[in-house]
Amino acid sequence: MRRRKTLSDILAGWRMSEGAKEAIKDIIDRSRRNTMVAVGATIIIVMFSLALLAPVLPISDPEEYVDESFQPPSDNRWFGTDELGRDVFSRVIWGTRISLQVAVLAIFFSLLIGIMMGLMAGYFGGKTDYLIAGTIDLFWTFPPFLLALAFAATVAGGSLTAVIIAISISYWAGFARLMRGQALSVRERQFVEASRALGASNIRIMFTHVFPNCLAPLIVWASIGVADAITIESSLSFLGVGTQPPTPSWGYMLFRGLANLQEAPWMSTFPGVVLLITVLGFNLLGDGMRDVLDPRMKGMRR
Amino acid sequence: MADLLSYIVRKLLLAIPVILLATLIVFLILYLYGADPITAVAPPHASAEDLEALRDKYGFDEPFPIQYGKFLKRLVFDQDLGTSVARGTLNTDVSYLIEQKLPKTLQLMAIGLTISYSIGIPLGIYAALRQDTLKDRGVMVFTLVGYAMPSFWLGILLMMALAVYTNILPIGGTVGGLENIILPALTLGLGNAALTTRMMRSSMLEVKRQDYITQLRSRGLPEREVIFKHALRNALLPVITVIGLDIGWFVAGAVVVETVFSWPGIGMLVINSIANADFPTVQGCILVLALFVVLGNLVADILYAFVDPRVRLG
Repeated sequence: MRRRKTLSDILAGWRMSEGAKEAIKDIIDRSRRNTMVAVGATIIIVMFSLALLAPVLPISDPEEYVDESFQPPSDNRWFGTDELGRDVFSRVIWGTRISLQVAVLAIFFSLLIGIMMGLMAGYFGGKTDYLIAGTIDLFWTFPPFLLALAFAATVAGGSLTAVIIAISISYWAGFARLMRGQALSVRERQFVEASRALGASNIRIMFTHVFPNCLAPLIVWASIGVADAITIESSLSFLGVGTQPPTPSWGYMLFRGLANLQEAPWMSTFPGVVLLITVLGFNLLGDGMRDVLDPRMKGMRR
Repeated sequence: MADLLSYIVRKLLLAIPVILLATLIVFLILYLYGADPITAVAPPHASAEDLEALRDKYGFDEPFPIQYGKFLKRLVFDQDLGTSVARGTLNTDVSYLIEQKLPKTLQLMAIGLTISYSIGIPLGIYAALRQDTLKDRGVMVFTLVGYAMPSFWLGILLMMALAVYTNILPIGGTVGGLENIILPALTLGLGNAALTTRMMRSSMLEVKRQDYITQLRSRGLPEREVIFKHALRNALLPVITVIGLDIGWFVAGAVVVETVFSWPGIGMLVINSIANADFPTVQGCILVLALFVVLGNLVADILYAFVDPRVRLG
């Protein structure tokens, strides 16, 4: 009988120090026991599967008029149909795809900007820090949603790319702040000093010593960031400046649902529930991971 | 007191670059806008000369720094935000439009803030005093869901529950008077109440652990007195100082909530203006919203320095 591969077996094959393996094993063990991580991760896995599988699932075309308008949920139209006779179930699933695509890419780019800015500011200090930290603070002052609204309103057309860019340039300041703080504290540590004494360049020190030490909080905040980005995207689409019809988007579906609240409550209920569950999933994962990675931060948030 | 004053002055000076950035972003809104905004103002069948005259009047054809300079100059010296280019409100001063809508948004935010604090503070204390019990868990689940809930979806849910199916409250607008503000304010307040509860709970837990509380208990003071007379006073401080930061959250929330309930404030004005390509009005509204945020941050900083002297000396 084939033995199931355990975590230690997998880790044994990796090229890294025993101490690092021990730490990784410890983190994975603790996250398995954390309910928030378990629930959050399950939700996220389901949502990503739906998003990836949308083109092959046996559901109707989300932009096609497949039935009569305002059909209530039934056996073959699980979530009913909307005002144009499109299948709400299919639109919710395709909406997952759009939502996750926008949110994940937007957070990826914000991370990229944030990490670069934060590392440079925290590591170099002095005038560089003064300039970058000032810029970070300027962006940090404003709620990302408000900035994204202002940016999204300027770009005519409201393509997906425009929404992604609008969210990215509104959200990076939080990551940069985090990164800068961590870099400031890490660079004073002895191993960084030792590495510098051995002649390592600034770039090398930043990426091999400073950056890995900031990974834990970044993972936490990236997860919460995706939740925020989903909320921002759906809010923008709800207000008509985000994803444009006929592309299925939860925010826009809720906007149409609001207009038809009396005749067809299912038009807003289903996208709303799925939207809430998805945002909740990423928040739970973030909160849970924080407890796992750094028990001292437990219960802190803002 | 002198150090508090110099702290406030310092913070006021630091707010200037933030406001400048806000004006720059706001200015870029019109400058970067791809389509020619003049088409929104011009009557149909306008001749090329007419268009040129209009462009001249609105200053759309000058280079960027000059346009921005003029924009700032008008803003600072005349409080002039330009005139609307939407068909319905053509040539109306943007500052007048904003003046009309501002009280509505302020009302909404004030009632929302009151709701948020009158739910969040007691609930946070309740949870903290029952740490790790089922009731505490229940409150924490409420805050998790409340935090994750996008405000427009919460608004639609409340509308379904209280207006569409039960007819307790009007669906939206301002026709009925006072009861119209309840739903939007409740939507705005409930979302933020989740955050306030979390803050209150963790702040109370922090204070409860401190030595002076143990000492009071060991002197035999009744628990009720220890908590409500001594612990609460210190636990409330961090919650109250974030009022300023909440304002930023409320400004963003108001834009969405006003749209859901057709509440005629700045938020609805900005969304309608975006839809009508009325960019001078969009500029003005966003600038006012940004000023709110900056003001809120300033209030937070000052409150914080006021209650915690270490901040202003640092």
